[in-house]
Amino acid sequence: MAFVPIYILILGFTIVIDYFAGIYIEKAEGKRRKLFLIFSLVANVGVLAVFKYYNFLNENFSVLLKGFALENPIPYLSILLPIGLSFHTFQAMSYTIEVYRGHQNAERHFGIYSLYVMFYPQLVAGPIERPQNLLHQFREKYDFDYDRVVEGLKLMLWGLFKKLVIADRLAIYVNTVYNNPEHHSGYSFMLATVFFAIQIYCDFSGYSEIAIGAARVMGFKLMTNFNRPYFSKTISEFWKRWHISLSTWFKDYLYISLGGNRVSVPRWYMNLFIVFVVSGLWHGANWTYIIWGALNGFYLVFAIISQDQRTKFNKIIGLNKFPKIHKGLQILTTFILACFAWIFFRANNVHDAFLIVRKIFGGRGSLFIDNNTLFYSFIAICILLLVETKKEYYKGHFSFFENKSWIVRNLTYASLIIIILLMGVFDGGQFIYFQF
Amino acid sequence: MIKAIFYKVKKNPVLYFLAKGILFLLLVVVMDFTIGNVLSYFYFKQESGLQYRTTFSIEKTTADELVFGSSRANHHYKPEILEKGMNYSYYNVGRDGGSILYHYAVLEAVLKRYTPKIIILDVNEGEFKQTKASYDRLSSLLPYYREHPEMRSIIALKSKYEKYKLYSSIYPYNSVISTIIMGNTEVNKKRKGDYLGYIPLYKSWNEEIKENKTGVYETDSVKIKFFESFISECKKKNIQLYVVFSPFYVKYLHEDYSVKLAKEIANKYNVPFFDYSNAVTFINNKKLFADFGHLNDRGAIVFTEDLVKKIKETCKSEPGN
Repeated sequence: MAFVPIYILILGFTIVIDYFAGIYIEKAEGKRRKLFLIFSLVANVGVLAVFKYYNFLNENFSVLLKGFALENPIPYLSILLPIGLSFHTFQAMSYTIEVYRGHQNAERHFGIYSLYVMFYPQLVAGPIERPQNLLHQFREKYDFDYDRVVEGLKLMLWGLFKKLVIADRLAIYVNTVYNNPEHHSGYSFMLATVFFAIQIYCDFSGYSEIAIGAARVMGFKLMTNFNRPYFSKTISEFWKRWHISLSTWFKDYLYISLGGNRVSVPRWYMNLFIVFVVSGLWHGANWTYIIWGALNGFYLVFAIISQDQRTKFNKIIGLNKFPKIHKGLQILTTFILACFAWIFFRANNVHDAFLIVRKIFGGRGSLFIDNNTLFYSFIAICILLLVETKKEYYKGHFSFFENKSWIVRNLTYASLIIIILLMGVFDGGQFIYFQF
Repeated sequence: MIKAIFYKVKKNPVLYFLAKGILFLLLVVVMDFTIGNVLSYFYFKQESGLQYRTTFSIEKTTADELVFGSSRANHHYKPEILEKGMNYSYYNVGRDGGSILYHYAVLEAVLKRYTPKIIILDVNEGEFKQTKASYDRLSSLLPYYREHPEMRSIIALKSKYEKYKLYSSIYPYNSVISTIIMGNTEVNKKRKGDYLGYIPLYKSWNEEIKENKTGVYETDSVKIKFFESFISECKKKNIQLYVVFSPFYVKYLHEDYSVKLAKEIANKYNVPFFDYSNAVTFINNKKLFADFGHLNDRGAIVFTEDLVKKIKETCKSEPGN
């Protein structure tokens, strides 16, 4: 990560373009409205294309030309990827699209519009907000509200716990194994992949909670970004609970624009697949992300195609008579499928990803044991599992976090701070999603 | 009166928030202080293991001859041979993953108490390389921050917020509970018995020798500065200092850049430097190694005997050192 002040101009560029585009889209009629929208979208996607995808495309073009024994004359760009570029670009695009669709009035106040794009809690890693939810909040006046401030601080503390105690601890094991794929066994990769699934969840949802909490302290309400996704029974449900602000962005602006499910069946499947491949590409200019997206698209299409057969199969084996076991198996299957896709997301390159898959299915070798990391990881995962299970299935029951007793409640939150001091990883890296 | 104040505070949300916030902070401070002190008690009560050796190195040893370095120091310098050969008492203050930053901090703590007669500093391959890990690993010195002001400036290199984090009593013991528990039981003694800080390894390496082609790499000027300071401190106190690059089971096609720099600096200060890179006795005999970076006990005997011979020869030719 580097601090390059001149890069603020990129943000300035998209803000100015979209600010005026919004006003002109609202004023214009007929084809001119569309023209202004296209102008804004091209500008936003253009910035992404240059800073995020140019070198990737050029590299692939070089490989293609090499196949014909040709040299690529196009030079590579020596540029850094601005932090959070994909997030604020998508937020800016959602504004012009909503103005075009007539769901949002164009914002005349340049300061307020700039704040919408640059609102610092969610500038670098979301949640990717919609103008209808956020813009009007900047015009409202907020008095100090004890409950709201405390709620925000609690959320921030839980986010910090997830990041420092869980995500960064698991990262030690995951990085050791994934960064040396030649030297680790299938068993180590199985464990590292499960750890990565938890790491990325705690890292990203932890960040989201810190962002939402910080906004809440100031009086703003941001959208929920994660809803305990690993309790999902299907991949489709998983995507309704994981990175909700991005999933709904793609649904609202890409999937529906492609025709959604109001098209022929093959086209519908194609739409789903396209959305997930683009989602993969959104995450990074690397084939690993594209494969990860495609794999999720495949899961979803396959789930739809095999729906009837699976229901029949469950009836034949009598699984439908044991709904709890059925549900448990569904959750486990969804988790395993998500984990398998995470291999491609985490691997350093496609070659490593396939090597890891081969090793996992080969299943030989001894498990890499790092006693210290495994000890703290185990404790951290247990705490997470207890808290998430309680929130998912036992909402009205006894709660340490929302206990009526001031002492119990405060002891619980104080204990979180103590555990962070005791077990948190303070030398860990930045948030994973900052790179997108 | 108290009731009136209470109602007044409750009516004003900012005051109410501040009052509850202070109470909450007080609770955290009490918990932090209590748990931190319990951890401190058990940390310094340890009688074996890595942390015990660090405490012994910093606060207790009075040996005439000290060996500084990473895990390679712990595994390479056989105490009986050095004690007999040099006729001095011995302690190995090496630590797994320790860099020159760590060694210098320990030297400062030792020199505050007494002056050893001989110091052997084992430098590692890539000793001066720029790595964040060397700074992260200074966390092993956090428990000594309060009682050892001489180490503070080095510990502060870990991060610019370190001194604020150290307001907490628990933070110095971050991520060490499991080791504290083990150090207070007999588990460590059984697992990795040490003798005066020397930890023998008994397995033999079976893999083929690898070539190291690394040339010049980016170095860390802070580490180089502390290496120089280490030498000048020893010089100032008239300590016989020997810098050693002990054997690796690696064929160096180029001299490791850090070793080259260390050698130049040692020469500048007229300090003997013993370089065992590509030493035939070792690279032709993998049975002397436990892995490519560590000698086993047999290897340590061969190496220490050779080193003692070299030190004696140097003493004869340069009695002033």
